[in-house]
Amino acid sequence: MKGQLIDVAVAGIRQLTPRIREYVLAAVDGAPLPRPAPGAHVELHTVSPLSGPVVRHYSLVGGAGLEDDAPDRYRIAVQREDRQRGSAHIHDTFAVGTRLKVSRPRNNFPLDLRDSRSLLIAGGIGITPIYSMLRSLVRRKRPFELIYTGRAAEQMAYADDVARLAGASGRLHFSGETAARHLDIRELLLRQSDDTTVYVCGPAAMIDAVHAAAGDLGWQEGRVRSERFTAGPSPDDVPFEVELRRSGRTLGVGRDTSILDALTVAGIEALADCRRGECGLCPLPVLEGGERIDHRDSYLSEEERAAGDTLCICVSRLRGGTLVLDA
Amino acid sequence: MNSITAIAAAPSPLEMGRFADQNTPLVRDCWYVAGFSDEITRDILARRLLGVDVALYRTLAGEPVAVRNRCPHRSFPLAKGRLDGDVLVCGYHGMQFDPSGRCVNMPSMPIVPTNANVRAFPTAERGPLVWIWMGDPDHADESLIPDTSWLASPGWKSVRGSFHMKSDYVAMHENLLDQTHFPFLHPGTVGTPEFARSKLDVRQEGDVIVIYRSLKNAPPPGIYGVPMGLMERRVDRFSEARFVSPALHTAYASVTDNEDPSGKAEVYRFNITHLITPETQNSLHYWWFNSRDRRLDDEAADEFLRSASEQAYLEDVDALEWISETVNADAEPQFDLNFAPDKPGLLMRRSIFERAAAQQARAY
Repeated sequence: MKGQLIDVAVAGIRQLTPRIREYVLAAVDGAPLPRPAPGAHVELHTVSPLSGPVVRHYSLVGGAGLEDDAPDRYRIAVQREDRQRGSAHIHDTFAVGTRLKVSRPRNNFPLDLRDSRSLLIAGGIGITPIYSMLRSLVRRKRPFELIYTGRAAEQMAYADDVARLAGASGRLHFSGETAARHLDIRELLLRQSDDTTVYVCGPAAMIDAVHAAAGDLGWQEGRVRSERFTAGPSPDDVPFEVELRRSGRTLGVGRDTSILDALTVAGIEALADCRRGECGLCPLPVLEGGERIDHRDSYLSEEERAAGDTLCICVSRLRGGTLVLDA
Repeated sequence: MNSITAIAAAPSPLEMGRFADQNTPLVRDCWYVAGFSDEITRDILARRLLGVDVALYRTLAGEPVAVRNRCPHRSFPLAKGRLDGDVLVCGYHGMQFDPSGRCVNMPSMPIVPTNANVRAFPTAERGPLVWIWMGDPDHADESLIPDTSWLASPGWKSVRGSFHMKSDYVAMHENLLDQTHFPFLHPGTVGTPEFARSKLDVRQEGDVIVIYRSLKNAPPPGIYGVPMGLMERRVDRFSEARFVSPALHTAYASVTDNEDPSGKAEVYRFNITHLITPETQNSLHYWWFNSRDRRLDDEAADEFLRSASEQAYLEDVDALEWISETVNADAEPQFDLNFAPDKPGLLMRRSIFERAAAQQARAY
């Protein structure tokens, strides 16, 4: 499936908050980029001098205010996570003119055009797909409510733009420096009409809390839609080794790389498609080290995970040591 | 480089251009008709609209649904599948999609894939028509759906029909704005020589092109005179035809009988509704209604108007298909000549060109 990526170059950089930067990416050939629907994201492929090739997923902001970006532009916002080398690499090395590749837009978080009413909940950098949904709802004059939470206004990307666009239907919630003032999610859901669909993007704990509150209230499955990049890197990731016993090769998997990417770089073409632990194409049989697997997919069953004899190499990792694969 | 070649290399600013033809990208940001309301049922209908294969059906609650007729997994045409309640089930591997296009089940997978969504198109039902928006869904403002309220009004009676045509929608609209062809292509129905020579006025109202003409004390055209029993009379005729949008042309005709036995002038009004949706760059779907405000229960009038309209439109289908075949097959190019009666058509072609140029040419 090579050759599907699009060449882009950084065309603009803007510091949105002390930790979040916006990057405008322009098609190198100037041709229109595929049109993203609200909620869509791209895979961003770049090469870090420290860790080698890095793939990260970023939601497409889509524009500014009510305006779409130009057809040959994509806009993303990247939050620097100090212990996460992917975002730090982007912040440290991306300058106007930097070349990279992006995938076609993918949408795991589509906004339903038929919704009679929508509730948008964004936490922190989770505002990026919610902003594109907000723009669509305002343009289509659909009833909605928006809550955007963060510790303080100055740490919340696009806070002014979002508040202006949402008008009386939007609210910013500040949880404070210690994040102690939690949003009352149960109360928020309780006062929604029966025909409201909820879209939530933000920290995993917040997404889980919204799903749990909806479950407690007896809401039908599917009324809460969420986008979580839990498949993404975590600050605790460590490097480890993968031994491919049949091929007689051993590869290092850096903190920023997936097993899949390490194999691909080494010229071993494993099968994979979604890169987020859903499609089930990439699991490989594990011969040794299964007890140290940190499973991060949503494809394998609890029994398969517990057995430790397979893993989704696109997202799951090892907590150090050597993983021996039958490959 | 000398100055003469420099001038020759640049397009002349004085060159006339910017008129849509069969090669101009289709205007996508526009409401088009997807079908008669009664064509869209609980049986899934496959129809290609603006080059995109669309599957059309109704929910149990009766709402029209339009999704791309192509499974995101292995491109199986979803219209070949079946409905399970409001859920569209692919006939190949049983993937299930709700009316928004969201995958809600994939039987061969332990989880529901979140990326397996099929594009849904905004739809809206107005009277006997289902409209669809094939462009950017954010711009699908239902207030832009043009007025066809007479099609659902109790004060009017309509007969209707539909055709598929191997011609482009620009040529079709030009045909509808061109009444000088009536006496020659449609001699038995709408054309009378007096009408062809009567003065034609044109005006442009934004994107709408309007032509109108009137003729006093003339014989009525057969298509109205026969069913209304006016063939022996002299009447005043007025007609107005409008290029409303790339999807719609409406014609309002009236015949005033000044010799009615009651002593009062009697006005007979006819609205003709032409709905045009490109199937591809060089083929189109065409639905028509002939509506009248008199003799609503006259079945003989229904039958006459239906068959006379059908005959006239079949003559148009033949002409436009012959023209399209010539334009596309003839190896020697020709730049068609334009004359005074072509002014409305040229204004329409300029309007379509400008709408096509303004929209973002982007794949999804």
